Amino acid sequence: MGSCWERLLEELQLGAGLQALSLKGKRGLGAIFQDQVVNTRQYLEHVKDSTTGTQGRVVKLFTNHFRVTSRPELLTYKYNIDYMPEIEDGKVRTDLLCQHKHVIGECHIFDGNSLLLPHKLQKQKTELVSRWGKKIVKVTVEFCSELKPTSLDCLRYYNILFRKILKMMDLKQVGRNYYNENEATEFLNHKLVIWPGYSTSILEYETSITLCADVNHKLLRMQTAYDLIMHVDNKSQRKDAKEISKELVGSIVFTKYNNRTYRVDAINWEETPRSTFKKSGGEEITFVDYYKEQHGLVVTDLTQPLLVSKGKWKKSQQDTPHEPIMLVPELCYLTGLTDEMRKDYRVMRDLAMHTRLDPEKRQHELRRFMNIVQKNKSAQRELQLWDLKFDPNFVSFSGRIMKEVRILQGSRAFNSHPQFADWSKETRSGPLLNVKSLDHWLVLYPRRNYGAALSLLQSLRKVTPTMGIAMRDAKMLEVNDTVQSYTTILENHVSSKTQMVLCVLSSDRKDLYDGIKKYLCVNCPIPSQCVVARTLDKPQTLMTIATKIAQQMNCKMGGALWKVETGLRNAMFVGIDCFHDIVNRRKSIAGFVSSVNQELTQWFSQCVFQEAGQELVSGLKACLEAALKLWYKHNLFLPQSIIVYRDGVGDGQLQALIEHEVPQIRSSLKSVYGDESKVRLTVVVVKKRINTRFFAEYQGRLQNPLPGTVIDVEVTKRQWYDFFIVSQSVKDGTVTPTHYNVIHDTVHFTPDGIQCLTYRLCHMYYNLSGVIRVPAPCHYAHKLAYLVGQSIHQEPHYSLASRLFYL
Amino acid sequence: MEKNSMEEFQRSTVPRKNVIEFRPPLYKQRYFFVKDIVNQYKPKKVADLGCGNATLLCMLKFHSCVQELVGVDLLMDRLLDWNSDKLSPSIGDHLGPRDLDLSIVLYRGSAVEKDSRLLGFDLITCIELIEHLDSEDLAKFPEVVFGYFSPGMVVISTPNSDFNPLFPASTFRNSDHKFEWNQTQFQHWASNVAKLYSYTVEFTGVGAPPPWAKHVGYCTQIGIFKKKQPDPGSWILAKPTGSRISEPEEHVYQVVFTASFPSLQQKHFLLFVLCTEVLKEVEAIRQKYVWIMKRKESSEPESEEDTDSGLVRRPGLFLTDAQVAQIEKSPKPYSVGKRFYVPLKRLIGYPKVNRLVADVSTLRTLLAEGIPMRLNRAHTSVQIDLDPYDYPHDYR
Repeated sequence: MGSCWERLLEELQLGAGLQALSLKGKRGLGAIFQDQVVNTRQYLEHVKDSTTGTQGRVVKLFTNHFRVTSRPELLTYKYNIDYMPEIEDGKVRTDLLCQHKHVIGECHIFDGNSLLLPHKLQKQKTELVSRWGKKIVKVTVEFCSELKPTSLDCLRYYNILFRKILKMMDLKQVGRNYYNENEATEFLNHKLVIWPGYSTSILEYETSITLCADVNHKLLRMQTAYDLIMHVDNKSQRKDAKEISKELVGSIVFTKYNNRTYRVDAINWEETPRSTFKKSGGEEITFVDYYKEQHGLVVTDLTQPLLVSKGKWKKSQQDTPHEPIMLVPELCYLTGLTDEMRKDYRVMRDLAMHTRLDPEKRQHELRRFMNIVQKNKSAQRELQLWDLKFDPNFVSFSGRIMKEVRILQGSRAFNSHPQFADWSKETRSGPLLNVKSLDHWLVLYPRRNYGAALSLLQSLRKVTPTMGIAMRDAKMLEVNDTVQSYTTILENHVSSKTQMVLCVLSSDRKDLYDGIKKYLCVNCPIPSQCVVARTLDKPQTLMTIATKIAQQMNCKMGGALWKVETGLRNAMFVGIDCFHDIVNRRKSIAGFVSSVNQELTQWFSQCVFQEAGQELVSGLKACLEAALKLWYKHNLFLPQSIIVYRDGVGDGQLQALIEHEVPQIRSSLKSVYGDESKVRLTVVVVKKRINTRFFAEYQGRLQNPLPGTVIDVEVTKRQWYDFFIVSQSVKDGTVTPTHYNVIHDTVHFTPDGIQCLTYRLCHMYYNLSGVIRVPAPCHYAHKLAYLVGQSIHQEPHYSLASRLFYL
Repeated sequence: MEKNSMEEFQRSTVPRKNVIEFRPPLYKQRYFFVKDIVNQYKPKKVADLGCGNATLLCMLKFHSCVQELVGVDLLMDRLLDWNSDKLSPSIGDHLGPRDLDLSIVLYRGSAVEKDSRLLGFDLITCIELIEHLDSEDLAKFPEVVFGYFSPGMVVISTPNSDFNPLFPASTFRNSDHKFEWNQTQFQHWASNVAKLYSYTVEFTGVGAPPPWAKHVGYCTQIGIFKKKQPDPGSWILAKPTGSRISEPEEHVYQVVFTASFPSLQQKHFLLFVLCTEVLKEVEAIRQKYVWIMKRKESSEPESEEDTDSGLVRRPGLFLTDAQVAQIEKSPKPYSVGKRFYVPLKRLIGYPKVNRLVADVSTLRTLLAEGIPMRLNRAHTSVQIDLDPYDYPHDYR
């Protein structure tokens, strides 16, 4: 259920919904290019010849890539552009250069720093004089290099060119993607608007250069920050600054008059739109007058506070002080979805219906897009200048469907369903693999939810015997609806014997949930389970919910549901993922989850706090050493190989990963083992946010590939040992494959070996009796980092570390 | 032709003594001058001849009265590269549409060529344009702009050469200038033109001279031409529209850019904004209603304020006493079971709704189209859930 929404949010590009939508697109693309130049395969001798596997059933696949058919054979010429005096603004730089079209010609691509031309200029170095308002600027055009059509640099220019073309097609740039405002859909009920759009990139793959295009959607809201301030105001009937700050701070607002986005860092209650500021000319002006004069906008509420934004948040600028920007709430539109909206199934249902395209529809949209590109005269003229053409059809090739995975649950064994990748029925119809009995446990409930608590207990009574869980009566404790009340009751009733605390919550208020979790993870470490009373309202779903809760509680106490044979002995598996607290710009949290036993049913969970925005785990060493220690304690010897799945790596960080993280792992292995040759290490980078999609054709219609489909040809990279796996099954929409990149491998996995192992690991996540998108340790690490980052903000108590308390 | 490089550039390079500095810069002052004219006369159709990089147009698009904005320039290429974004509707223009339509068109063309698409304008501005015309073009200019286009009002600005001695360099302010007139020359020319084409003209300018050289006049001299009306008593703009219907169509200019802005005149956007405003209002009323109900339940002592006006007023909502009285008189919101209803007759009393539609029947028709599911059966009230969170949930 939860994962369903997660997927939708990702499709709406809201997964990282709080990330600022920077209106300059350059960074993103540049970052992707940084990763392209990293060649990791050259160090992997065993896959020098081929990174392609052979096992499994061959299936014909299509992908949302369009081959660039006519590659120009001619060379192109790169020129560096310098400005004297130095000019910062990209638009101005472009304008100053374009004043000399008679010199550089109509056909040129300018990226802000350098210029690409299809012909050579007469002189090696040309000096030009441009006018910029009152200034005279000297522009120097100096020859830099000849570029081969296949060179990465050249592709970078083609991407810039293509973005220019999208602009010509009247698409609006928002962030990195382009959207079509004319095909907007309004959801009047939810005060939302959705713009359909496209993300594109031209890159070189295994055998050819392709344009990867995908459909995505931009979500806009009709609410202003002012509406939100008043909304909260209404609830309590008084101005509650704390409440309002909580909802607004950290959110990204969009100002209608200049098409910019800002992050709200604070609310200034001392100032109003009547306050003044200094204009660039030095004169003082009130905000009201300024907006009236500059933009013809009328501010109606002159008593509203002002929002404070510290400006763009860039790692490089962290230390440089900024003049904070003041904004009038009435003129600021909110962006992204609120928690409230995320919880509103009607909002989510409508969004899902609209934004989830099934494979057929996606193909249709993309073909239509390519068609528009072909038909647009100015776009074609631009492409012809560079002799660029695109094959209008999807690239096609063969993929393989891996064998179904056997799930072992005690004496029983069954296969995952070949189409739905699910075994929930099988799992609940017999005893679990490793059962923990519920002897001493507490149930906390608010008075008005007594009925719900009772019916949950009754249902648990009914479902637990089949699972083999022995359950004694719980101690029932009534509480009030406050964190304080929950913790006081717990303080009085928790003993050293208490195994589990089940809290029935009257609502899904975040502060209540956070407070309880924090108390039970840090101050008084006991595994806990929270249930919102409303979910227990429906008699028809009660049994299913009780079953899931019983399973979850069993895992949280250290039990296990099922296991999967990995085929690899004496190996320790590690999953790493990061959570960035963008709202409070707090420290980032890296989850580090490692296997404890051979069966991979027990996991050891640690987390590392890092400075804000920092992606790479630097406290890796301590985690790994603790993990090895525990593994040793359980198995009485050290693992022979260590397989690390590293998720949460941003674009452009691959090089840093190889330079810092892998060596750190290696050096700590060296110190534990004494000699590096005694242990083998494989590091796989996992990437979930990708634009590549795959389609299989069944009965003349494009459909999602079956779970277990692996792709290691055509759209993989020559310089990497990489592959894609479609592991999960989706009910509607298009499935997103996961990209795996093996960057270090002394285990010497064959392509079949690592692909099969990875797929099997996707079957081991105990919160879902089905296959998930990433290997289980990665998802555990994600869950852990998320709970710590969102709710408890502190390191959980050590005694919980060997349990999946965060499920 | 938006800026004169000389007047801006030289001033920044000459020694401090005798430096004449304008704040804000002179080119901005010229634009603000036009903005003031627009604020004062509220023209509907405005054209800027010699619009350069369209900075003035970018500023004028924010004026709510302007519905048609046209820019004409001989050189259009480089403008398109970087100002077209600013002239196109942005996300914000979609989220908060203007009250009135606005279309922007840019033409590649010359101010001395006739094009019938420039007929019927309320205001035509020629900012720092005429001094770039050679004598032949300058001779054609009045006939095209005043005789043919014949707008309600023309604003012409040009450098005042009387001011030039205050600058260190003795040449023209910009190398492309064909001439620079002193005050007498300009006023002479302008008065003749005005007389010939039945306009009145008054002279002013921006960039006042320093106190020790008052006699030289403004750095930029400006002539404001107003078309003489048959009845001098009623001086209304927008008179010229349609006066030349009989004129044959002449399309000489080349269209290089067009944009059309979302506005409340377009039903689609009206519907969107109206439904949003109505739902915001209903939501706010519901909250207040539930709060009052809860207080009654918990039998807290009644506050001094009467519950009904308590239901009407709320922070951030600015109502006059008359508006409050009107809303209080209208049918009250009510709840039945889990549903909450706000009668349309009540909603229409709220200024944010009333601004968009004048009467209940229009409100009803539009809402029925926009949010049919949110109306009661008789279409007399908007209906929402009393407790919006009353539905099945994901559990943690």
